[in-house]
Amino acid sequence: MEILQYSLRKLITGIPLILGVTLISFVLMVYYGPDKTYELVGKNPTAEQIAEVRHELGYDKSFVVRYGEYLKELATMDFGYSDSTGERVSSILVRTIPISLALIIPGFVLGNLLGIILALVAAYHRGTWTDKLIMGGSVVGMSISFLIVIIAFQIIFSSSYGLNWFPVRGWEVYSFMDYLRYVTVPTLATIFVSLGYNTRFYRAVIVEEMGRDHVRTAKAFGTPPTQLLLKSILKNGAIPIITRIMFSIPLVVISGSLLIESYFGIPGVGKVTYDAITTGDQPILKAVVGLTAALFVVTLIINDIMYKMVDPRVSLK
Amino acid sequence: MSESAAVTTVDDLETGKGPSESLWGKAWYKFRRDMPGMVSLGVVGIYFLIALGVWFGIWGQGWSDNNGPMWATPSSEYWLGTNVIGQDIFQRAIYSTRTAFEIGLVVAVLSTIIGALLGALSGYFSNSWIDEIILWLMGVLDSIPFYLFVAAIAFALQGNPYSMHVAMIATFWTTTSRLVRGEVIKLKNFEFVEAAHAVGVPQMKIIFRHILPNTNHILLVQSTIVFVGAIKSEVILSFLGLGVSDGVSWGLMIAESTQDVQAGHFSNFITASTFLFFLVMAFNMFSDSLQDALDPKKVH
Repeated sequence: MEILQYSLRKLITGIPLILGVTLISFVLMVYYGPDKTYELVGKNPTAEQIAEVRHELGYDKSFVVRYGEYLKELATMDFGYSDSTGERVSSILVRTIPISLALIIPGFVLGNLLGIILALVAAYHRGTWTDKLIMGGSVVGMSISFLIVIIAFQIIFSSSYGLNWFPVRGWEVYSFMDYLRYVTVPTLATIFVSLGYNTRFYRAVIVEEMGRDHVRTAKAFGTPPTQLLLKSILKNGAIPIITRIMFSIPLVVISGSLLIESYFGIPGVGKVTYDAITTGDQPILKAVVGLTAALFVVTLIINDIMYKMVDPRVSLK
Repeated sequence: MSESAAVTTVDDLETGKGPSESLWGKAWYKFRRDMPGMVSLGVVGIYFLIALGVWFGIWGQGWSDNNGPMWATPSSEYWLGTNVIGQDIFQRAIYSTRTAFEIGLVVAVLSTIIGALLGALSGYFSNSWIDEIILWLMGVLDSIPFYLFVAAIAFALQGNPYSMHVAMIATFWTTTSRLVRGEVIKLKNFEFVEAAHAVGVPQMKIIFRHILPNTNHILLVQSTIVFVGAIKSEVILSFLGLGVSDGVSWGLMIAESTQDVQAGHFSNFITASTFLFFLVMAFNMFSDSLQDALDPKKVH
């Protein structure tokens, strides 16, 4: 009950955030965004034809009216039809979001898990050459651009100059084997790029927790290493870890996959959004930006509730 | 900024005796004994000299001449070969160093200034409406997906060559600001602030002359992190067609190299990647060593 009350209260305080995000995005992407009029009118249009198209696109209404309509669309979750393809925005999103998730989740999960494992190894051997090797490797990994990794992995795994094991681009998934064929190289690239950052972050958290008094006491009482790790170290380090993972989720869903999607030619939501920006497909933009902002607020709430779950001292008041 | 603190630092630098008692004196003493830190600073220095040379027109000026043969192999005339339209890859990589420093410096300096000012204000007036507004603004900017934000600004500014810089500054200051805010909340309860209040120093002077200079170490480290972030973002943005539009950058070279790579010519890709990698790597290590030197409480 407390959690429900808290969530409702937080949802209400999240409204200014959603308004801010939608307003800034609306001004940038819709109000000053590309004008679609001349793409839609025929050759040698008359003034009436131009006016008609502008009316259909809603360009002739005032700023306040257009923003108000956007908020209404957001509240009712009905964004109408795409300007470019005429498809319903909701059906585009239903089609593309699962593709992006299927593309990004394996790399995201494995990147974090491997990061925690490497961080544990480094922290356990703190100060030795194992630690230095892992941390040195992390700095090297952090210094290689995502784009370079993608191109290099494509050369290594998908081209005739390398192993040529996987398809270069595309997403024709009809079975689990197809899925593995298309998802492997993007996943490897995602893991490679995130691993350095993750390892450093998790090592810092773990090392900090390992130095605390209660860990030393538990060790002195002869607590077995696994229990020490799970109960004394990871449980206490859970808050920064949860924060990091939770806050990457909204961005990973939208922009994390944009580069991979555009390079590998995968029709996910990142690619669709990017195309919408460059062509000025306003209904799609409005939907994606609005949903991302809403997702952020929901993430903030879940994040706080998870704090409460791992640390009973946290008050939800 | 406090001039007296700056003077002490310079003195320490020149006399080079044992550690001075100031934060900066101790930090410099510690940093000089940090081998990876000194080496990385040297590498960054070399890159900076390359960039200066381009600024003063000493080298890298023939980056846009396309009179060479297509995809030439490395030779005494074209040190690292040529690209698809016969441009000298080595000269382009050299010229791109300047582009990288321009982007990194502009974004790092401006986003640090904005972050410091707004962070100090929101920290000093924490829990007031000023703080609420600044926190709200940071929350909003952090909730807009970065690449979409850049793309939107690029279109809103109608092909302005600085749209990428504007977008990066507009989003990168929030991290600096949050760090400064936290530190200022801590600092404002110190006795020196109380003393300043007691002798009637104006509020703005307390914030910007008394409190803010005490966050200089955070600002310095954070600006190196932003510098790296800006250079790395430029590469991806240039590939997406949202980055550098006049001139050449490592990002543009990598973007154009995707065609070369398909035809089996790797020189463009390898050159740009290598230049980029060593600068980012050196800056990352420099930033780490700087943090170690400036934060006595940091756990290793």
